[in-house]
Amino acid sequence: MKKIISYTALILLGFTFLLPFIIMALGSLKETQFAQLDPLFWIPDDPTLSNFQYLFNDGMFLRWIFNSFVITIIPVFSQMLFAGILGYIFAKKQFPGKEVIFWIFMAVIMVPQQLLIIPKYIMFSDFGWINTYWALIVPELWAIMGVFLVRQFMQGIPVELEEAARIDGANDIKVFFKIIFPLSMPVIATVGTFAFISNWNDLFQPLIYMTQEKMFPVTVGLASLLGKEGNFGIEMAGATLSFIPTFLIFLFFQRYFTEGIQMSGMK
Amino acid sequence: MKREWDRNAIVYIFLIPALIHFLIFQIIPFAYSFVLTFLDWKIIGDSEFVGLKNWIQFFNDDLAWKAIWNTVLFSIYYILPTMALGLILALVINMKVKFTGFFKGIFFLPVVTSFVVIAGIWGWLFRGTDSGLINFLIGFIGIDIQLFLSDSGQALMVLAGLSIFKVAGSTMIYYFAGLQSIPRELYEAARIDGASPVKIFWRITFPLLKPIHFYVLIVTTIGSFQIFDSAYLLTGGGPNYSTTTIVYYLYQQGFAGLNLSYAAVLSYALFFIILIISLIQRKYLGKEDNIY
Repeated sequence: MKKIISYTALILLGFTFLLPFIIMALGSLKETQFAQLDPLFWIPDDPTLSNFQYLFNDGMFLRWIFNSFVITIIPVFSQMLFAGILGYIFAKKQFPGKEVIFWIFMAVIMVPQQLLIIPKYIMFSDFGWINTYWALIVPELWAIMGVFLVRQFMQGIPVELEEAARIDGANDIKVFFKIIFPLSMPVIATVGTFAFISNWNDLFQPLIYMTQEKMFPVTVGLASLLGKEGNFGIEMAGATLSFIPTFLIFLFFQRYFTEGIQMSGMK
Repeated sequence: MKREWDRNAIVYIFLIPALIHFLIFQIIPFAYSFVLTFLDWKIIGDSEFVGLKNWIQFFNDDLAWKAIWNTVLFSIYYILPTMALGLILALVINMKVKFTGFFKGIFFLPVVTSFVVIAGIWGWLFRGTDSGLINFLIGFIGIDIQLFLSDSGQALMVLAGLSIFKVAGSTMIYYFAGLQSIPRELYEAARIDGASPVKIFWRITFPLLKPIHFYVLIVTTIGSFQIFDSAYLLTGGGPNYSTTTIVYYLYQQGFAGLNLSYAAVLSYALFFIILIISLIQRKYLGKEDNIY
């Protein structure tokens, strides 16, 4: 009896959470002219790939996807590397000013990004960075939250491991790349997956720094498609295409998302 | 001293570029944003010092206060339902049955999906005509067609619904971790005493999750004050400014109206509100807080 209640709850909630995604996937396979007449139009009837063909032939959509990859992939790898290095420095090294610097880093996490957007916009205009990848890549090269997560993790790596390597004659760089970095791979993967999701999904910043259609990432591009109204099948095909990379990352790294959320929240 | 520098050289080689980056992209913008609030910033030509003019304008701007009120209202619609749904999802995946890992993934999926994708579907679900799925469904229980996003009384609730759906999964993760840290002996003892599941929930589970409740409350509150994406995507702040939140108004003033100095005032107003929330959190959690 208890099992029946449990499974019913799971299935009902699971279906509710999946339904929007099901509508998206099925809706992308429908010709739009008929789409809007019937609330259940997305239930398969005459599936077609014409919406996807439209987007691929359009050219602009592929460019948006490409832009998203550029502004995502570079920060992902750079954030992983710098989170590793800086995390190591703050976890294992003693140097003058360490406490103060770390305290300032932590305080700045509290500042909402929206506060920085206006001065950054003015600054990037002066730099000539508006409508260039620089505006979305350079500021994202490392992130404090990632450094913090990695530091927490590395504090738990026993000193003996490092000492043994040093006795064998390894220097800082060798110790870091041969021992500390590989051991910290789980948390560094967490940093990478979070960087991917936040950069790929960001709407606010590219909306402001990118004003030319050809420089839009897929979020802004898709938003402009949604604004054009009425073309539900094409909108859903676009949503599906922009969703696939996030979904794949999620599928392969699911464990790191949930662990990362727990780590950033609790000790 | 020389030796100490040598030993630390490698540290500084990596730290100094990071500090410079931090200075350029965080500290200087933070300070400059404050300076901007006292200027009349012009796209072309020199900016003019105007003292408190922008701040006075803010205190007299009915629309700014409406935006703040809308944001508070959004929080009311959003915070408790998110916490409740997160807790329910956590309880459901904490049940000792099969496939819970699979469902955990499903519940978490919206968290990693962009607002743009979800808003695209949501806009259609909550269509204010009889072709919208929600109107179709509520028709079965005899409710008339609702306007939803075009109704100034309902639009903000629909946006809150979207956000609840989007973030309940991460709230679930916090609660799930909390549930797993509750000692099993407590449940066993309660069961031996013959307590009902409902009683066990309200007497043991719910009170022992207190630190999690508090943490989730802070995180969702701060998140709700920064809401922007769904208003931009679905309503454009309307109808009748009913979904103009603080950040949406900031965006409108700054980037649609090019009043960058005034937008800087709004961003500082947002900062102070979030700072106050954070300070309250500090006060109640004290030194042993479990945040960061």
